[in-house]
Amino acid sequence: MSLIALPLIPLAAVLLSRLPLGTRFAPAVTLLAAATAFALAVRTALRVVAARELVALAGWLSVDGLSALVWLLVTFVSLMAALYSWGYLAAHESDARRIRSYYAHFNLFVFALVLVPLMAEPAVTWIAVEFTAVFSVLLVAFDNTRGALEAAWKYIALMFMGAAIALLGFFVLFWAQAAAGGGHDSWDGLRAVAPGMPPVLVMAAFALILVGFGTKVGFAPMHTWLPDAHSQAPSPVCALLSGVKTTTVLYTLLRLVPLLPPARAAVWLQVVGLISVGVAAFLLLQVRDYKRLFAYSTVEHMGIIFVAAGLGAPGGFYTAMLQMVSHSLTKSFCFFAAGAALLAVGTREIASVRGLIRTSPVAGAALLFGALAIGGAPPFAVFLSEFSVFRAGVEQHDYLVTALLVVFITVAFFGILLHVNRMVFGRPTAPVPPAHAGTPLPPTCVLTLVLAAIPVLVFGLYQPAWLHGLLMLAASRIAPVARP
Amino acid sequence: MGQMILFNAVQVFVVVTLAPLVSGVLSRLKEIVQSKRGPSVFQPYLDLWKLFHKDEVISDQSSWIFRFTPYLVFVTPIVVALLIPVLTDYPLFFAFMGDMLGGGFILALGGFFATLAAVDTANPYGPVGASRTRMVGFLAEPVFMIVFFTVSFVAGSTIPYIVQQRWVTPLSTFFEPSHVLLMLAFIMLILAEGGRIPVDNPTGHFELAMIDESKSLEYSGRGFALMKWGGYMKLFVLCCIFLNVLVAPWGLAQAQTLQAVLLAIPLVLLKILGFVLVLVVIESSLAKLRLFRITEFLGAAFVTAVAAMITRLFAF
Amino acid sequence: MPGPSAIPWLQNLNALAGGLFLLATFGMVATRQALGCLRLFIAQSACLVLSAFLLGMLDHSWDLMVVGVVDLAIKVFVNPWLLRRSLGREVYTRREITQALNVPATLLIALALALTGYFLAQPLLAVTGGADIGLNLPIGLAGLLIGTFTATVRREAVPLFLGLLATENSAFFAGLAVAPAMPLMAEVAIAFDVMILVFVVGILTRLVHERIGTTEVGALTALREEPKA
Repeated sequence: MSLIALPLIPLAAVLLSRLPLGTRFAPAVTLLAAATAFALAVRTALRVVAARELVALAGWLSVDGLSALVWLLVTFVSLMAALYSWGYLAAHESDARRIRSYYAHFNLFVFALVLVPLMAEPAVTWIAVEFTAVFSVLLVAFDNTRGALEAAWKYIALMFMGAAIALLGFFVLFWAQAAAGGGHDSWDGLRAVAPGMPPVLVMAAFALILVGFGTKVGFAPMHTWLPDAHSQAPSPVCALLSGVKTTTVLYTLLRLVPLLPPARAAVWLQVVGLISVGVAAFLLLQVRDYKRLFAYSTVEHMGIIFVAAGLGAPGGFYTAMLQMVSHSLTKSFCFFAAGAALLAVGTREIASVRGLIRTSPVAGAALLFGALAIGGAPPFAVFLSEFSVFRAGVEQHDYLVTALLVVFITVAFFGILLHVNRMVFGRPTAPVPPAHAGTPLPPTCVLTLVLAAIPVLVFGLYQPAWLHGLLMLAASRIAPVARP
Repeated sequence: MGQMILFNAVQVFVVVTLAPLVSGVLSRLKEIVQSKRGPSVFQPYLDLWKLFHKDEVISDQSSWIFRFTPYLVFVTPIVVALLIPVLTDYPLFFAFMGDMLGGGFILALGGFFATLAAVDTANPYGPVGASRTRMVGFLAEPVFMIVFFTVSFVAGSTIPYIVQQRWVTPLSTFFEPSHVLLMLAFIMLILAEGGRIPVDNPTGHFELAMIDESKSLEYSGRGFALMKWGGYMKLFVLCCIFLNVLVAPWGLAQAQTLQAVLLAIPLVLLKILGFVLVLVVIESSLAKLRLFRITEFLGAAFVTAVAAMITRLFAF
Repeated sequence: MPGPSAIPWLQNLNALAGGLFLLATFGMVATRQALGCLRLFIAQSACLVLSAFLLGMLDHSWDLMVVGVVDLAIKVFVNPWLLRRSLGREVYTRREITQALNVPATLLIALALALTGYFLAQPLLAVTGGADIGLNLPIGLAGLLIGTFTATVRREAVPLFLGLLATENSAFFAGLAVAPAMPLMAEVAIAFDVMILVFVVGILTRLVHERIGTTEVGALTALREEPKA
């Protein structure tokens, strides 16, 4: 029952946040809904670790290890984003109608995000992924500036292009299943008949879905919309987009991995992932806008997860899951920090910001913390997961892939730290005077920064048993079925 | 064999005498659609009779090409009429003299000499129209080629009579996509080669905008009559190729008797008049394209023809 | 349900629907008027619906018939109406479509893409073929490539989006034959999802028009890494 209840909570919040009961009702309702959803997701995760799979509606709605993991990430980040939005939006907006519209769209977006892992049937998963795109467009365009509208237009155009191409891929996948003798129409059913599916059809379907959903994830060379959309949206929305939306689409792609012939799958996944990591690492070096910096870092990390999944059993899949977790938590924190910096100095340009640690100590410290964490410095979570990827690569004797990965990640680390270092330290410049320069940071934002920093630090030092169990369960879902 | 020659002669006679009637009906219908009364359907005959009785004025700057061209423009459609099925279902005496490509080239010969003759005089409007006619001509060439290739590939031969027998034999193939697309491409080709709207305005008098009409600007008297008659026959022959070979090869004489052949005449005329109705609808509902848009129009015709070829070669 | 003697007729009619679908896709590439593009999109959707009905009759599948009815309502009537509403004011300011490439070159590239689509479909058809899949899959793949290409060269918002909708139509056209047993609910939900998308894009286009003054989204190139000149 809680499986059906979880998506209904944000849906109810959509309706409630439309009620004109003052400017504080909508954020409060959203926060309450996000907290309840997070609690339900934690409970579901614990039950799944015990029971391996929970079924609400056979063949249509079910949650297994991978879905539960994604649910946890989605609900946690949305809780943090809801908390952060309270203060951020209050500092940015005073129009009650726009605030209500923001929260309504926010809850709709979270609803769509929660829906994706719940679906057991591939075509309906496509629909849910489309929903996440459609319901987030107006959030990207929320600022209503020229840049925001350009970003939103590019976003929706490329999202839909990817969706249409992936749709054909899903049809061909269905065809492959029928050619293998039918079977139950769900992800589990597909895995069961995977060895019998004609390889041509499976590879064609995977190619189409890779191009289509790869556009949505942000793999190079289809990533051009990502820096725009993930920098022009309001910061809590950016956290949701970068932290969990790309992860959700990647989840769909990872569901396809067990269906492919293992040797070919490994090559494709590693090549696509490496191209993304490489392109993002080098493009990072010449950004002029710190939110775009973090957006390119998202492209890089999506590539790392894909490479890890390409390394294969047994270590590769586990590290891919670990990387997914650490990236979601860390990236959302980075965007919260970027939002704090934006509130402090009022501009997104790196060149205009100097000495942030003196102008606004909280924002400066958070930005430095986030940059170190996402770049992969110890003792943060991303360091642990990236190191695990390297280790898995060496274990699989994939030395070339591991070497390239090390080089690219180092370049990216260097790039991020270069820019953030310049921003945080140095002589403070006179702040450029738009409306929000020098605003003191709202207390909810500070609280969110503290709360979101905790898992980033803790998971780099210690891995609780339930998390390990969940990751193992999730990794087993993307491991290929034994082939004769 | 003597009968075959006789039927061939009847065929030529039909083309020569009935072509002005078809043009007359076309103009009358267009005028009726525009809520006017229009000239009589026999007006082209009266025009030709009048022109044959007028004096001819020929520029002294022109050469033998100018004097020779009207005869060529008159004769080339007649030669093509010997090759294509106009009245009969079975090949006639001259049927194997040339195939569809040959027929296309013979028609192009007439057009080529008309262009030369237009340049031959010292009139500035002649070469303007001639260059435009050539542009339309060479853009239409690829469409011709693709259409003929596809048709010949399906029928296994390039002789029009044989193509006609094999093209629409089981009736369900009428709805095949390659068939429909080829029909569309060929209609666009007839509009371009026949100088009809949307490519060119056949009733226009403004020399700067003329494309096909400019070939007969300088002619008078007998030369003018022969050019006009040749133009009517070219349209008639194109319609015959379209209808009798590609679209609706019904109503043609099956038996090898004179009665059957004579009976075929009104049936073929009926078919052509049906097509004339379609032409009238097209001409009355579209506007003339600007000159540089003709490239897009013929490009679309080319794409349609190639799409027909694709669906034929790769389907099933 | 038709008897066995009617099957060649139905297959030929389906082939005709496919040919007209391809022609409508080429027409969308060749046309210069925004409203003309919209009308050709309606024609393309109508061919899709026709093919759905014909395949439903051939396979004796009520699912495909219902899909045809739903698509008729949504793709032929609702979506164009929603687009025309957002195009409404635009018609009087930007009737013609501007592209990054001229029309004849675009047509030739579309032709090359159609041939590529046919070639790419051959190895898939070699696995399991049927007459219907043999027709719908190559045309769907060709339409997918052409629609994506059209969306990259167009500069105005609504014709660009029409190119993307044509891509989705083509994917669906191929899917009718390739995956006829897909759950009905999924196919219906896909159609509704596209409708919601069209609605949201209408809102976005109106926002762009209000803020920037024109819907020529091809001119929005401010977000990039190079230093502002």
